[in-house]
Formats: sequence, C-alpha cells, structure tokens
Amino acid sequence: MNADLLQGLDRSEAESVLSLGKRMVLTSGAELFHLGDVAESIYLVARGRLRLTLPIEVRSREEDVMVEERSSGQTVGWSALIPPYRFTLTATAPLETEVIALPREGLHDYFAAHPATGYAVSVNLASIIGNRLQLFQAMWLREIQRMVELRCA
Amino acid sequence: MEMLLMGACLSMFGLAVACLAFGAATRETRGTDAGAPALEKAVAKAAAVAPARFFVDAPALPMAARSKVPIEALLLQLENHVRLEHAAAECFLESPNASLLHSRTTSAFLN
Repeated sequence: MNADLLQGLDRSEAESVLSLGKRMVLTSGAELFHLGDVAESIYLVARGRLRLTLPIEVRSREEDVMVEERSSGQTVGWSALIPPYRFTLTATAPLETEVIALPREGLHDYFAAHPATGYAVSVNLASIIGNRLQLFQAMWLREIQRMVELRCA
Repeated sequence: MEMLLMGACLSMFGLAVACLAFGAATRETRGTDAGAPALEKAVAKAAAVAPARFFVDAPALPMAARSKVPIEALLLQLENHVRLEHAAAECFLESPNASLLHSRTTSAFLN
C-alpha cells in the first residue's frame, strides 16, 4: 500500500508501522468517527472512499455536508496525533471501505524507539495537514472574495 | 352710509384674505417648483434602479427559487459546489496566482 503518511520510508519500516494497526472493513454508509469524538487512532484508507462531513443548518434542519473526500492511500483522522485529540469532522464510508487504524499510543511508543521513522512520519503528517490548511485557506479566500463582490455591487 | 362703509370694509377684508391666499398659494407653488428637480431626480433614480433590481437582482430571484428546490437537490448542489471549490483551490495551489485564486465558478449553487 502506498500511503501518504508513510512516504519516504523503506518497505520494512513501512511494514513495521502498518503492523501496529488493525484492519477494519466499513460497510456502505457506516460511520468511522463522529465530530467531537475522542480521537484514539489515525486511519489509512486501504481501499474504498471516505466522506468527511460537517454539520450545516439547511432550512432549520441540520445536514451533514461533505467538505472533503479521501480515497485509497490517503490519511484520515490526524486529530488522533494532534491535541486535544478530538475529531473535527465526521467520516463516513459511501461504499464498502477498508481502513488501517493506527493507535496513537502504539505509534508514540514505536516512534520513541525509532526516531528516524517518527521524524519521517511527522514530516509526512505536516505535509498532509499543511495541504489541508492551504486548500481550505484558498477556499475561504474565494468565499470572502464573493462576499466582497456582493457587498460592493 | 353705514351700509356702504360696512360693504367697503368687508370688501377690503375679502381682498386681503384673497391676497393672502394668493400669496400663500404662489409661495407653495414656487417651493414645489424649487424642490421638483431634486424630487424628479430621486424618482428617476429610483425608477432606474427599481426595475433593474426587480428583474435582475441576482440574490432575490435565486433565493425565491431556491426555497422551492427540494432539500436533497439543494444538498447535491452544495456538495457539487464544494467539489468545484476544492478543485479550484487545488489548481491555485499547483500554480499560485491571484487570477486562479479568484477564478469564476460554474457552480449552480451560486449561479
């Protein structure tokens, strides 16, 4: 599996990290985690897809609106490695999806014993978080631009 | 003689009242005339703006129309909008520049 979180690790290192995890199969429509839940594990999507949603009020009804999708090889639920360890989105499988759940405690212990691997994974994690930040910053700026245009119209 | 004097007084009073009324009426007319250009401008401006808003005002019509859109369709539009915005943001990140950042969207959610 070519996981973004494990980029730059050699095969044996990557397998060692993956061996810390537990494979989980989600049926179509199943929820992996919910907004506000305690985040104990970070997930790698092995196959299938995950929808990341946030609640939005539409006509006085709360609806989960998709803000991002993650597919095979991508990482979901990095809140497990970032305090306060609470999920800030809800993840749902729109089709049968397999994930590898990597527990925070197991990763911390492993990285303490293998700092080079910990460093490489941390760099990858920073890249994943940075990408999300840049994407949402751009999306937010586009929205602000539209608001400015409406105000000045 | 008394009758004549009374008639003359009444005539003078009547004339004075008529003069006052005429003066007041004329002043009012002049005042209206002076205010007319401003009022006409305001009316013309309102007339120019009102039809444009009535027929073209983008937020008003879609909002009214949107209230009739089933919520499922609205959510699909919203999801599609998020995908398009996501794609636009990715394009910007590949080659960051202001025109890509503020490129127009074809999203039905906004148009």
